Amino acid sequence: MARPIARTDTRREASGDWAKATRRGGAASPRSKQPRPRLVNVAAAIVATGFGLTAGLAFTATSRHQLAAPGGMALFLGNLTGMAGTYLLLVMVLLISRIPFVERVLGQDGLLQWHRKVAPWPILLIVAHVVFLTIGYAQSARSGIFKEFGTLVSTFPDMAVATAGFGIIVALGVLSIYSVRRRLRREVWWALHLFMYLALALAFAHEVVLGPSFVGHVFTQHIWSACWAAAAGLVLTYRIWIPILRSRRHRLVVDEVRPEAPGIFSIVLKGDDLHRLEVSGGQFFEWRFLVRKMWWQAHPFSISARPTPPYLRLTVKNVGDFTSALATLPVGTRVALEGPYGAFTAHAARARRVALIAGGIGVTAIHSLLEDLPKSSRPTVVCRVSMEDQLVFHNEIELLVKQRGGRLHEIVGTREEFPVERISKLVDDLKRRETFVAGPEQFVRDVVEHLKSIGVPKENIHAEVYSL
Amino acid sequence: MKINQTSIIVTAAAVGFAGAVALHASGSKTPTGVGGFAKSVGSHSTSSTNSSVTHKNNSSSSPPHTGSKALPPTHTTTPSGTTSSAAQSATGSMEQYGYGQLAVDVTVRASSIIGLQVVGLQTAESYSQQIATQVIPMLKGEVLSAQSLQVNGISGATYTTEAYLYSIQSALSRLHFK
Repeated sequence: MARPIARTDTRREASGDWAKATRRGGAASPRSKQPRPRLVNVAAAIVATGFGLTAGLAFTATSRHQLAAPGGMALFLGNLTGMAGTYLLLVMVLLISRIPFVERVLGQDGLLQWHRKVAPWPILLIVAHVVFLTIGYAQSARSGIFKEFGTLVSTFPDMAVATAGFGIIVALGVLSIYSVRRRLRREVWWALHLFMYLALALAFAHEVVLGPSFVGHVFTQHIWSACWAAAAGLVLTYRIWIPILRSRRHRLVVDEVRPEAPGIFSIVLKGDDLHRLEVSGGQFFEWRFLVRKMWWQAHPFSISARPTPPYLRLTVKNVGDFTSALATLPVGTRVALEGPYGAFTAHAARARRVALIAGGIGVTAIHSLLEDLPKSSRPTVVCRVSMEDQLVFHNEIELLVKQRGGRLHEIVGTREEFPVERISKLVDDLKRRETFVAGPEQFVRDVVEHLKSIGVPKENIHAEVYSL
Repeated sequence: MKINQTSIIVTAAAVGFAGAVALHASGSKTPTGVGGFAKSVGSHSTSSTNSSVTHKNNSSSSPPHTGSKALPPTHTTTPSGTTSSAAQSATGSMEQYGYGQLAVDVTVRASSIIGLQVVGLQTAESYSQQIATQVIPMLKGEVLSAQSLQVNGISGATYTTEAYLYSIQSALSRLHFK
């Protein structure tokens, strides 16, 4: 059962500059800012009000005699679905801009969940928009649907490009259907996804030139344009501009790639100005390793220790082509970063005692999170691995737990040998603790399920899933 | 927390919707261009018989005060030597032109076309309305100055031009003009 394991073969004595820097207990970098949920609620209210206004604007744009004319109802519905769908697309763009004050509360996975939850609606609404308007125009012009579609595309201004945009939206919608999507590689799907920005740009002109709410209404035209410009600005700022500035400021390079256990290795980065990098334990960055074949894809890895300037450490489990390529990164490779991201931080654990539960490689986030806990916090830490040689950072974690007056349980065993239900027997006051669970998807799901079943309130369960 | 957020979102969306509707109901109904068309047709003051102008199109949404910006009556350009005969008018056929429909009320005196007024203009949506509103005064000017249907059409509004001219033609034949 639970027993401390002393391993000698895979765990080596700390060596190298990074180890010296940690032993010195170098100047820690500041934590990321405190999450402010109320601010996010205000933002959500503003965005939702915008949705209501947009729908209301579309609802009132059609006059009574237009509604009564042939095709009037279809044109009305086409305009309403188009406006609502386009506004939701705007919301989608806001969600992926990862505005920091929102991200700190919801976490990147929270934003992604919202993004996925909302995503089908704008696509369906836009499809309805096209169908309704084609029918409406055909009824109004007393012509056939296909003929009218051709007329719409070829004779109305900005409709040809808007139709191209619609084609992209439909294609991406089909690709996003789960059964199609899982056949695509993550990077390929992500790259195709970027075409959505193109589609939005192509569709923009026809909205303001033809939209009944905008024709002859300069004020609404300006507001609409300003909203889109702002959304584009947020994406450019937070997804491109700030990451570039941050990467340039810290000028990170690979300093050492050190094996921690079979298939698990740490990448120690060295950089400038790291005492100014705001990051909390438990957070992650999207890393971009600037070598041929790799520079174009960013991958999320947790920091496995708080920065010890001039060093920053991430720890990787070898699970695929990309991660095995990382193991052979030459020293001096330049690294760009985007982030930090994640709401899996000690900010969530102000009032209560905590239990940190790590499955496998989840120990990386748990380790850096543990560093952020105050000295008197008396945390309970559970580390589970399936093979004994996978226990990484044993010494470091043991020391951190001891300094904080807590307890460490290390468990070696497969899922069958040690079902997650046994965790609650191991930690008798689990119900009263703020729980942090990190690890592979299945492990996290099982543990969270178990915590819920023993009555841990949902808001006291924090989870970070390591996928791929 | 979650339930809270949902209720915030739903409430805010409802408030926004209600706000937009209330704004529309209370605010000044800005014309989407219909009024612009009506005001530019100054010939209604010149026609002596208004029997056929029974259904004034779209006038519900055009505020009356825009009449102050009306163009000067077009009959001022017609020669004054023909005043002896009475003005006659007729409404042309209602023409469907793909983006809407229109008919033209034509007033003639002696051998001159002195008034043209579009009646029954109905378009499917705002954009076509806007186009019609821009194009019709231009066409009117062309026909009145040429005193003929042999005019240059407006590019980008071929269908509207055709419908306008066809309707005038049918009105003229009703008046046994020329």
